[in-house]
Amino acid sequence: MIGSIIISFALLFNIIAMIMYYLNFKGYNNTISYARIFFHLTSIFVIVASSFLWYFILTHQYQYKYVYSYSNNSLSTGLLFSSFWGGQEGSLMLWILFTVIVGIFLQSYASKRGDLEPRVMSVLTLALTFLLVMVSPWFKNPFEIIWTTPIFVELKSINSNYLSLPFLQQYWFSVPQTNANFIQVSPALYASLVQNGIDPNTFIVNGRGLNPQLLNFWMQIHPPVLFVGFAMATVPFSFAVAALMKNEYKEWVSQSFPWLLAGTGILGLGIMLGGYWAYEMLGWGGYWAWDPVENSSLIPWLIGVAAIHTMIVQRRSQNTSGGIGRFAKTNLILSILVYILVLYSTFLTRSGVLGDASVHSFVDPGMLVYLLLLIFIGSFTLLGLGLIFYRWKDLQSEVPNDESLLSRELSLFTAAVTLCASAIIVFVGTSAPLVGRSVDISFYNEMHIPLAIIVGILNGLSLLLKWKITSTQELLSKSVIYVSISVVLTALLILIASITDIMMVLLALSSIFTIIVNGEIAINIMKRNLDRLGAYVAHIGLAIFILGVIGSSAYSKEQTLNLVKNKTVEAFGYQMMFTGYEPIENGSKYAFNIKLTKDGKSYNAAPVMYIAEFNNSLMREPSIIVLPTKDIYLAPLSYDETGHHNHSENLKIEKGKSINYDNVIITFENFEMDDDVMKAMQEGRDFQLGASLVASLEGKNFPFKLFRKQVNGQVEFTSYESKDLNLRFQLVNLSTQGVELKISKLDEPIHLTTDKSEEVLVVNASIKPFIGLVWIGVVIVVSGFFIAFSRRLKESF
Amino acid sequence: MKNKYIFGGIMIVLFLGIMGYLFTQSNIKYENNFALVKSTNKTVKATGSWVKEKSYSYDSGNNLFQFYMKDQNGIEMRVVYRGAMPNNFESASSIVVTGSYQDNYFYAKEILTKCPSKYQEQQKSTSM
Repeated sequence: MIGSIIISFALLFNIIAMIMYYLNFKGYNNTISYARIFFHLTSIFVIVASSFLWYFILTHQYQYKYVYSYSNNSLSTGLLFSSFWGGQEGSLMLWILFTVIVGIFLQSYASKRGDLEPRVMSVLTLALTFLLVMVSPWFKNPFEIIWTTPIFVELKSINSNYLSLPFLQQYWFSVPQTNANFIQVSPALYASLVQNGIDPNTFIVNGRGLNPQLLNFWMQIHPPVLFVGFAMATVPFSFAVAALMKNEYKEWVSQSFPWLLAGTGILGLGIMLGGYWAYEMLGWGGYWAWDPVENSSLIPWLIGVAAIHTMIVQRRSQNTSGGIGRFAKTNLILSILVYILVLYSTFLTRSGVLGDASVHSFVDPGMLVYLLLLIFIGSFTLLGLGLIFYRWKDLQSEVPNDESLLSRELSLFTAAVTLCASAIIVFVGTSAPLVGRSVDISFYNEMHIPLAIIVGILNGLSLLLKWKITSTQELLSKSVIYVSISVVLTALLILIASITDIMMVLLALSSIFTIIVNGEIAINIMKRNLDRLGAYVAHIGLAIFILGVIGSSAYSKEQTLNLVKNKTVEAFGYQMMFTGYEPIENGSKYAFNIKLTKDGKSYNAAPVMYIAEFNNSLMREPSIIVLPTKDIYLAPLSYDETGHHNHSENLKIEKGKSINYDNVIITFENFEMDDDVMKAMQEGRDFQLGASLVASLEGKNFPFKLFRKQVNGQVEFTSYESKDLNLRFQLVNLSTQGVELKISKLDEPIHLTTDKSEEVLVVNASIKPFIGLVWIGVVIVVSGFFIAFSRRLKESF
Repeated sequence: MKNKYIFGGIMIVLFLGIMGYLFTQSNIKYENNFALVKSTNKTVKATGSWVKEKSYSYDSGNNLFQFYMKDQNGIEMRVVYRGAMPNNFESASSIVVTGSYQDNYFYAKEILTKCPSKYQEQQKSTSM
């Protein structure tokens, strides 16, 4: 109850703050202090609500549906903290929390800059209103009480003291196939409990917990960083709309710039942390799979980076020619798009429209949320782009574009256009599921290789060009040295790494060119002014990143290995030996130890497999050996104690049921049991259990019997061969669940348990050359963003 | 001045043209009717569910995973995938396989498992 009340109040206060800010913008001077009070009240209430959610999770208050659904008693404190954003409701709450924190800083920033505050803050509070409505008690409320709508709760989650209550039978459900038992928790049960004097809050004592794929370190880092990026995207939008409200386009650029830099820096970091998570823990094999959910946060990032480049031009031309500067409209549109695309990303991932297209599963949120999200996107698009349309005439008064073709202005603009082109490609591909289509990964890759080459060239070229105009001669004489060094280095690279693909050669060349040009400038600047390093650092980082991408994806090698225990297999020049497995993490998982040796050096890898209780599925975690020039990536596939039993198939048949195998109907009719089997079993004497079956083909019936024999403690299974059917039926297992048969064709060789001692671990081994450059590149890019941020923050005063 | 716009226009048309072409080349349709999946050998994303009652096997020698899938109408097909049973496979409420149907087998290049985040629906259908 308390959580919902706090959220409702936060929403109310926020609406008041929004109205007060707007009235202040409209000229009511006395409303500003109320607006501030109510905004800060909103912030406090949101922070308190979030603290309550954390408190409820940490103290296992399973009467809250969210706490029950995404946490349990066995999670560590760190993971309990991250249960906060384990589901939809909580991740919305996290987004709101960060938007509010960003809002607090923004309010303080804006209040020092003239009449900026009421405009910027009325936009931010408007966004906050939509977000708060989404977590309000009518929509995706994280504080929903579990008793309000019927939900099935597993027996193990229920206080065992109450299981004997007679009225509980009414709410008891069991699934026959799996023998799982559930209690339907519902308002009716709540009433029954209260009637019998039982505190309903003590009824549920454990939760369902998190999906095992989320149970690791990166779950605690990646989502929050991403959501800080999302929250910060509100700011450029707010500044752009604020400028349009006032119809004044000069100041907002330098005011918004540091926010945009910090926001895109953090968003980029968040995206790549997700990539690292996927690579290191989830065993997806790579850091980027062009999954719609990954893509949808990449699109706003690309647009944000494009905006950074055109904003530099606008600021520059404001200083040199006065007026509002070049690309005023472009910058407004891009800044607005950043947030709209963040909302679109949310829509794609949360509305259920991606359904089958993404590995990130989200529940269908219901029609109301779907509509609300559409209204959210619709009204923000209308507000932002509508205002630009409304002000279009006033925006025409920009500086005449007097720069020449060979100018830094135009090359920065071209860079922005290239980034937008990339964003459009990702947008089209990612939105394809909306029309029932999906694009192959090759669509993204083929389109992006030429774009990445252009980006590489521009990253170097734009810095060789001067503002306004550069003579062709000057450019040529300046660039000849850089180009020749780059060509020599690329040639060396081609020789060493034997790169033959022309596109990869060009990509490597353009990246090396970027590094040489930016590196030289960076070294020169470093002596004078560290502040100005941001752009060069980011560009060098990007080029290093691209070199890493070339190495790790275009030159990655992959092989599936069958590692027989204690036998050496050679792959990629390494001697690999599976030495056995051991339980880890209190026996919940198994580590499969592999010893690798090469040139007398040895390395140990231990990929992990386990059956997750949460979803009763086999889960796998890769093991990575990080070497200076490459990663050796070992993803486990399967572990087999007998080696071969794969060439024929296992069929399970329940008693009284039939199964179709190659048009042969096989029916398991009955168990064959001697009278003293039970007694024999209990006494540990030898016994046999049988099954009578009938195989029928085209009306002909072939009855047969199979036995499970226990002789001197050893279990044996019999088989039956039928020449008429050309089939051999080997009993594999017989239990109360039914029979399990292995059926094979008589004229095909059979591989039964020939060598019982053989233990085989199957792994997918791959070599990822220079993947380390990807991570190093990302770190350098992000630090570039922050160096630029600190410089532009100083300039914004 | 004018040249700039013409150049820009050409670039945009070129870009959209290439993108449109690649899109038509690489786009894959979702298909939840296996009768249609079987009628073509084009690459599709077939959505359906795993037939747990039927046999499945993993051949570690050839790294081949085989199982049966069925669509909403109960039409079944046999799926072959080069790789092991994916994570979450056993508990998946629905499966999306990308690949094409040839010679009585659906050759999957990719398997995507969708997990039920809520178990209600499932239990309702089995217990009532």
